[in-house]
Amino acid sequence: MASDYFPPFIAAQLNYLITHFPQAVKVEQAWSGSRNYPGVLDRFTLCIPYCLDYIKWDIIYNAEFPLSAPDVVFGPEDEQFHPFRLTGSEGGDEAKPLKMILSDWSYKDPTRLCALIQELRNEYILYQQKRAGAVNDYRLKFEINTMLSREGIEIQVSSGLEKPEEVKFAVPLLDMNINKMVHGCPWRHLQKIQLQVVYPIGKKYTPRLKLISTTELKALFSVEDVKLPTWVDGMCMAEYLPHLEESLQGQIMEAVSSIDVRRHFIEALAPLLGRPLEAEPIFCRKATFLVASGAFTFQAHLSIPTQFPKQQAALMLMSNQHFNSHHAPIRSALLTDYPWSPRWDISQMAERMFDFLLDEAVNFKRYCNEMQL
Amino acid sequence: MEAVEGEGSGPPRYTLNPTRICGEDILFCVDVDAESLMEMKATGANGRPVTRLDSIKQAILLFIHSKLSINPDHRFAFATLSKSASWLRKEFSSDVDSAMSALRSLSATSPSGHADLTHLLRLAAHEAKKSLAQGRIFRVILFYCRSSTKPHYQRSGAQKLFTLDVIYLHDKPGPDNCPQEVYDMLVDALETVSEHEGYILESGQGLTRVLFRQVCVLLAHPQQRSPQDFIDFPKSLAKKLPLSEQTPGAADDSVPSQ
Repeated sequence: MASDYFPPFIAAQLNYLITHFPQAVKVEQAWSGSRNYPGVLDRFTLCIPYCLDYIKWDIIYNAEFPLSAPDVVFGPEDEQFHPFRLTGSEGGDEAKPLKMILSDWSYKDPTRLCALIQELRNEYILYQQKRAGAVNDYRLKFEINTMLSREGIEIQVSSGLEKPEEVKFAVPLLDMNINKMVHGCPWRHLQKIQLQVVYPIGKKYTPRLKLISTTELKALFSVEDVKLPTWVDGMCMAEYLPHLEESLQGQIMEAVSSIDVRRHFIEALAPLLGRPLEAEPIFCRKATFLVASGAFTFQAHLSIPTQFPKQQAALMLMSNQHFNSHHAPIRSALLTDYPWSPRWDISQMAERMFDFLLDEAVNFKRYCNEMQL
Repeated sequence: MEAVEGEGSGPPRYTLNPTRICGEDILFCVDVDAESLMEMKATGANGRPVTRLDSIKQAILLFIHSKLSINPDHRFAFATLSKSASWLRKEFSSDVDSAMSALRSLSATSPSGHADLTHLLRLAAHEAKKSLAQGRIFRVILFYCRSSTKPHYQRSGAQKLFTLDVIYLHDKPGPDNCPQEVYDMLVDALETVSEHEGYILESGQGLTRVLFRQVCVLLAHPQQRSPQDFIDFPKSLAKKLPLSEQTPGAADDSVPSQ
């Protein structure tokens, strides 16, 4: 209902959580648990990034008892996760922060929920590590023993119908600040690449591997373009990762120097196609030119891929004089099939693009005239 | 922002520096005085004459589609000018359908007698501050249609917060009008208020093709512009001459009619 709302003290804690939590947390749904205050939202489901996936926890406040700390209900597959069972003999130093947050709960303090979820997530990491350590698979035991010391690693034991079937690892890669390598970098967050390794339990198959990056990195470098080194039978992560990281580091450095290749290409086009109307100046992936063939004026929109010049740029032409029934200018399809060689030097590439446009202008004008009839 | 090379007689060589550019908030201000109903030298699909206002609407749509193809982050709002400026659609948006419905509601007024740009410039300065706070830049594109009414405005010592571009459609100069004086006033306004290089383009030919070409020149992002004297687009895709025979040129507005 549009009139439903979070009471101010919950709203303050939730807002603080969303803006300050190290990972991007989302609220999936919210509802009211109170018969007496039906429009007051005091329960919600949090989606928390974990191990390149999400875990969902229900946070249960009580609008009728605002002074109390909320309860947290974990997912059905985590029945064995009991971070609140804190006796003097268990947990030791690890249990302390959680115990303090709960015993010292102040509903007026907007930072509390964030601190609680952060501690619970830390506990969850340890819980998953223990679960993985208990799995009856010698290969996995070896991996866990060797990899646990690696900073930032997260593990998830996925449960099958009767017993665990897979163990997933999310391994942060490359201790390099890619943001700092890009001149004028516009990224708000540090870009990261992780390797997802999925081990089947009790089977001898090589693990499934996938590279995953933060979204904004795509402007510079696509992890989908990376050919992963082969996982040789009998290998372990400690052996595999250095090869992968070395290869990735080389590819990222190449991607960074590719920016200037694209930059120079756009600059080389300017004497031939005129000064660009607009060119994307940081990653140099796009540029638009205004050109004329006789009295026919049109725009040439250039998209340059990260794999340029191995992969050629795509062109889209837009007429300034022909419009469809919605009064939108008529445009061409994406043109990628023109003569090209990555071995040409930059000025040759620019000249050949000019030659292509010179010829294509005639075809495009004919196409526009036909579309308008 | 580029050093002029050689003896400074030609346009500087283009360099694409790794300097961030901002999304634009663009306010179209359309002169809806009676002279906007002057006919262009074209007829519509059903033989109906096309007015300046009709062509301006289509030119704005051409601009919006083009600008969003360049970067979907740019946004647009609309105002009209008769005696003074008033909002047509105040909210900035990149939605093409809502731009179309705003433009559909544009209609001409009876003759206004004078054109005061003061309110337009104040409103633009106010909106520009909001855009700047969001990490965006602000631009006004004024379409002016009157051949004898010189626009005026109160000068203020205000800082230059936005870019002003003008497209001026007028009658051919004659004893009963003064488009040159109007043009000079518009240049004066542009040079006084514009933060980045503002462009002013004019035509008395009444050709829609020329208007559409001019509006596309205004697609140039203010943070990457060259001075107007050095505009070298639309670039003619003719067979290339040897380097020694090439001369740098400004856009030629006097296109021979087809």
